[in-house]
Amino acid sequence: MSIADYYNFVIIPILGLSVILVFIRFLRGPSIADRVISLDMLILMAIGIVVIYSIIHNQSTFLDIAMLFALIAFLGTVAFAYYLEERRKRDE
Amino acid sequence: MIKALLLANILLAAIWILATGTITQENFVFGFLISFGVLWVITPDRSRNDYFTIVPKLASFTVFLLYQIIKSNIQTLIASLYPKSKLSPAILKVPLTVETDGEITFFSHVLNITPGTLVIDVSDDKKALYVHVVHCEDKEAYIKELKEVFEKRVLELTR
Amino acid sequence: MNEIIVMILTTIGALFVLSTALAMVRKRDVYLRINVTTKTATLGLGLILGAAMFYFNEYSVTTRVLATIIFVGLTAPIGGHMLARAAYINKTEKWEGMKIDDLAGQYDPKKDILHSEDMNTKFEPPTDYDQPSTK
Repeated sequence: MSIADYYNFVIIPILGLSVILVFIRFLRGPSIADRVISLDMLILMAIGIVVIYSIIHNQSTFLDIAMLFALIAFLGTVAFAYYLEERRKRDE
Repeated sequence: MIKALLLANILLAAIWILATGTITQENFVFGFLISFGVLWVITPDRSRNDYFTIVPKLASFTVFLLYQIIKSNIQTLIASLYPKSKLSPAILKVPLTVETDGEITFFSHVLNITPGTLVIDVSDDKKALYVHVVHCEDKEAYIKELKEVFEKRVLELTR
Repeated sequence: MNEIIVMILTTIGALFVLSTALAMVRKRDVYLRINVTTKTATLGLGLILGAAMFYFNEYSVTTRVLATIIFVGLTAPIGGHMLARAAYINKTEKWEGMKIDDLAGQYDPKKDILHSEDMNTKFEPPTDYDQPSTK
């Protein structure tokens, strides 16, 4: 059993299942903070999937995209948190 | 004093690299360790010098932090498979002994990357930290444990 | 030998990510979700990235992977902290299982400051009661 087969048939389904579970929370989430944190988690899991694909196809260039995703995840979370606080101040 | 010794250490490591002629990371780390030993030998009174205690302290703190992260991650993994009613989360007020902004940032980041605790806010007069914990049965004991396990180590490192 | 280490590291990392997703669905309020998920996801992701580091075994890949691990480890907990603070200020509902809440009544919405002594400013998020069937 080669490493590509193991990743294709075991690891990618586990990560896909976690993406589906987090997406359920993203759709159902009662508040905005739930949706923002599940968006953050979705991007982190996307980083994991990109790294797994770079191992399967033996292409280390894909890791640059993982780094880019990490930057975007942090920026998105901080911007949403700032927006939530400012919106509370504007409403009063 | 610390800065001068650190600069001397890096300089000696660079000289080691020039002398051996191979530019790799392992060689730099090896040269850094050798010049650390040389500086340790040639400094007259080591007890008054912070530099020789802060490097081993930093290394032991890193190991301690990794151990705590792995241990409490496994605890959280088990706790997330429990029935829902067994957890008792709480927001605790932890009074601070650390004073400056840098120490507070460092301490709260250590609490943040350890699973089970999440810093929600710092009070405006910098005297208390509001921490959300996953499972808390005894309030006083938990606060005491946080202060003794984590804050003491941070204080040892920064002072 | 090297491939076995890579497989073990990725498996443990993927299991941590799966536990994160399970916790995301099962926990009852926002604060617990933020508290549990940001940390375990960071550790699982770090293990998967470390597996890539062992697999390629080149300097350019190692430095890139280490930079990504350090960046994720520094920023994911900070994002969780900011989000939890924004959620508390916005009065997001808390679960009734949260018995002790020292932060209740400490914010002063008029002057926009947070006290450290015991105050009573009536600033507190509402409690979200369970349905009796799920108790």
